Amino acid sequence: MSAGNENGVRLDKFKNKGKDANELRRRRVEVNVELRKAKKDDQIFKRRNVTTLVDEATSPLQEKSQNCQATPQWSVEEILAGVNSNNLDAQLNATQAARKLLSRERHPPIDHIISAGLIPKLVAFLGLESPPIQFEAAWALTNIASGTSDQTSAVVEGGAIPAFIRLVISPHPHISEQAVWALGNIAGDGSVYRDQVIKHGAVAPLLSLLAVPELSLFTSGYLRNITWTLSNLCRNKNPSPPLAAVQQILPTLLRLLHHDDKEVLADTCWALSYLTDGPNDRIEVVVQTGLISRLVQLLGSGEVFVVTPSLRAIGNMVTGTDEQTQAVLNAGALSMFPGLLRHHKSNLQKEAFWTLSNITAGRDSQIQDVINAGLVPLMVDVLRKGDYKTQKEAVWAITNFTSGGTVEQVVYLVQANVLEPLLNLLSTKDSKTILVILDAITNIFLAGDKIGEADKLCMMIEECGGLDKIEALQSHENELVYKASLNLIEKYFSGEVQEDQCVAPELTTDGYAFHISENQSTFNF
Amino acid sequence: MFITDIRKEFYDFVVNQRVALLVSSDIDALCACKILQALFHCDQVQYTLVPVTGWQDLGTAFLEHKEQFRYFVLINCGANVDLLETLQPEEDSIFFICDTHRPVDVVNVYNDTQVKLMIKQDDDLGVPSYDDIFRDEEEEGGDDSGNESDGGSEPSGKRRRYDEGEVERRIERQRATREWEARRREILFDYEQYEYHGTSAAMVIFELAWVLTKDTKDMLWWAIIGLTDQWVHDKITHMKYVTDIATLQRHVSRHNHRNEDEDNSLSIDCMRISFEYDLRLALYQHWSLFESICNSSYTSCNFKLWSMHGQKKLQEFLADMGLPLKQVKQKFNSMDMSVKENLREVIEESSNKYGMKDIRIQTFGVHFGFKNRFLASDVVHAAAALLESTEKDESPGDNFIKALDCLSRSNLERLHGGIDLAKKKLMAIQQTVASCICTNLILSQGPFLYCYLLEGTPDVKLFSKPMALTLLCKYLLKAFVRSTRNKRCKLLPLIIAAPMDVEKRTVIVLGIPPESETSDKKNFFGRAFEKAAESTSSRTLHDHFDTSIIELKMEDRTKFLDALITLLS
Repeated sequence: MSAGNENGVRLDKFKNKGKDANELRRRRVEVNVELRKAKKDDQIFKRRNVTTLVDEATSPLQEKSQNCQATPQWSVEEILAGVNSNNLDAQLNATQAARKLLSRERHPPIDHIISAGLIPKLVAFLGLESPPIQFEAAWALTNIASGTSDQTSAVVEGGAIPAFIRLVISPHPHISEQAVWALGNIAGDGSVYRDQVIKHGAVAPLLSLLAVPELSLFTSGYLRNITWTLSNLCRNKNPSPPLAAVQQILPTLLRLLHHDDKEVLADTCWALSYLTDGPNDRIEVVVQTGLISRLVQLLGSGEVFVVTPSLRAIGNMVTGTDEQTQAVLNAGALSMFPGLLRHHKSNLQKEAFWTLSNITAGRDSQIQDVINAGLVPLMVDVLRKGDYKTQKEAVWAITNFTSGGTVEQVVYLVQANVLEPLLNLLSTKDSKTILVILDAITNIFLAGDKIGEADKLCMMIEECGGLDKIEALQSHENELVYKASLNLIEKYFSGEVQEDQCVAPELTTDGYAFHISENQSTFNF
Repeated sequence: MFITDIRKEFYDFVVNQRVALLVSSDIDALCACKILQALFHCDQVQYTLVPVTGWQDLGTAFLEHKEQFRYFVLINCGANVDLLETLQPEEDSIFFICDTHRPVDVVNVYNDTQVKLMIKQDDDLGVPSYDDIFRDEEEEGGDDSGNESDGGSEPSGKRRRYDEGEVERRIERQRATREWEARRREILFDYEQYEYHGTSAAMVIFELAWVLTKDTKDMLWWAIIGLTDQWVHDKITHMKYVTDIATLQRHVSRHNHRNEDEDNSLSIDCMRISFEYDLRLALYQHWSLFESICNSSYTSCNFKLWSMHGQKKLQEFLADMGLPLKQVKQKFNSMDMSVKENLREVIEESSNKYGMKDIRIQTFGVHFGFKNRFLASDVVHAAAALLESTEKDESPGDNFIKALDCLSRSNLERLHGGIDLAKKKLMAIQQTVASCICTNLILSQGPFLYCYLLEGTPDVKLFSKPMALTLLCKYLLKAFVRSTRNKRCKLLPLIIAAPMDVEKRTVIVLGIPPESETSDKKNFFGRAFEKAAESTSSRTLHDHFDTSIIELKMEDRTKFLDALITLLS
């Protein structure tokens, strides 16, 4: 009940300040754009793949891998003849040959195998009572499904999903493992096939594999494959995986989260990051599992490939309601942040600031937690000298801080010397960031007004060269930037500031503001 | 990617679009721009012209226009860095690059969607093959355990299972990968080590006009000026110059032939281009012969005019030619016709005697009507002087427009103004060369020569501009090589530094390759500057499209130079 409702309240609060959930949403989109860009970069070279096919031999890598292949390769036609014979041995040999072709390093002939019509045969072999041929067929199909969406579709349309699910509980571990792997590839294609795998009832047998007292009895490869396939069942949005399946999987994920193999841990954390990347009710399901404290522990594990997904999961959680954010804070997440905010991996640093920005978007008590954890100086540091993408996130953290923080908290922020580095960033070319900074400045002035210290703020801004920067923005091509800077100038920097003195006494009658005015002297620095 | 059919892959693309035309500040770029503008007028293509002086400028210009434009044409800029990385454009922005800067960045070469290079393939490009420098995602995805070391990326949605014996193969593969990477670094190092210039942008665009059968004499003249700019500013080898002159000469004969039967071939407003084997004396037809000889690098260096001995030799030379001093010192236009007749032959004969065997060079001249005659190099000097004018505090944009204007034959006034400015500039250069040589300002630093123009040197403001400083640097090195007795020093490259922005306390630093007849004009200072700046964390700005020109904080000069010496020794 409260999840959705609370969310609404929080959104309203933002809307009043001109910041709403759209801002947060926009930021996720931005991440997507970035990913798309990365993908695009791949595509640049895709067309080139074709040419490398032609002159394969020129690559030093290719020569090496060919040298290693001692056994002669079958042609697809030979394989076709073999699987269509009535002799089980011939079928096995042909299947193995197909598997070998599909397992070679470069340019496996997936499409050729598909167009030769081998898939129905291979799927049929999954149901034979012969473990060797089951295994070879499962492996071959796994590799076909590892290709493009069309190639995965060919496997699914051949009826492979139910056949693989039956094999999950095969008494032969290597066959079971191969079936799990294949299902992972199919589910990894996207929401549609993921849900088909779930609908065919894959979850229960998969989980049953792990329903043993001691996980460490498994080989690490086997356990890792199961974890990875489970994570693919949690992966992808629009739509998210069915709630019932998620609830079914979560207890197992919690258990895996306490396993000691770091690759298993990484995949489990990725699964959790997928599950938390969604609306608040989805976040709530994960929060209720009670795994946050373990996730926070993993934040401090020092292994980049475990820290990255656990931070992503934590970061996703604090995009939720204030209560959900509070649960993260209660688990002591902030104590891990000094390390994360200074992490040597700039990408991790950026994600940490993104997370922080959503925490400072919360209640003032939560902002106080950020202060108490000693994170404000780190924020200022990064504004001063940091990776640009990280700085953009830090700017958000500051602006959210100034919009939700109490006057005291804002005063603290100013005393931590935030103004100069923040204003310096106004010289960036990105107008969105400029607007966010101007918002922060406006918020700081609002706090200054409340304690009658706007004049002092003006002086500080002028001294660090910020006024020149704001003035320069009045000729910015972006209209919003121009307006925002004009507003600031008109309100605070044009001649005598008569208004402020009128406003100040009104507020000093208020007990709260009166209390603050004691701080006036410390506002100086 | 390289465009193979400039008409289909470039012109047909933009002809119905709005185009942003980003043009670098050099004469060749201006000429290419003029030709393209004329074509665009012809076909009523809407375009916006934006002059850009450096990378920052280019970035700003792109940001300002990326909303309104999809197609960007970059002239003499953009080829030698990873453009997509620099500008971070959206996927639908498309860049057509016509740039002489070499080497072309490999990512630009192998991007098939957004970067279209209008660069002649027969230029000596030497681009590494794709497989030597890029590996496909698939291969990298193959060694997933190797990838985890740099960690933290999302696991792949699908995984293929490889054959048995994978572990050994993986070790083998990692070894091969390391070898491949080492080789890649080596290949890229070799490829990117030297900076040089390729075929003139104006010639490339002229070729487009020709293919479209829309070429005019004006366009041809601009192509000639573009090529001549490369010669005047010493950007290409003599061989390349002569080859390209021959190409243009064929176009000139074609155009002249076309107009032969028309009666107006000598009317007032007609334009006639002619191939000339003319004197290497700067602006001599618009000056006095004497002043031109004094202020041309070729003659001044050969006579060593900075010395008393040199001045005496000059007098002897004039006497040898048998020309009266009075004639020689008066305006060329007013010289007696009898003297002017055979002048080139007379000068050539005496020059040969004085060791100046190359006093004549293949070039082109133009007649506008009867009165106005210009050599291609005259126009280059005039346009360059206008482009880098320091006369009044005019913005780079104004200078750009003026320089562009002086190329139109309807604007001879401006051209004459430019010639006057160019004379001042050449005199300033000669005086500075003389004073640097006479006061031994060129120091040998071991691996290179170094000259620093102090603040307060006359005309120092002029030399804060890249083209003027380049010219000074080239002339200075020639003069130094003539004057020094130290044989080792004759083979050294030269770095020159001059005050750039007094308020910001910065200097402009520029390096040129050693002076020699057979020089390949390849310049390694770009890389060296980058490395030296990096290793000393000097505050440098590598903003110029030529990487061998940088801006440096005055205080960091010493440590920067020390690092360069260590690096190059």
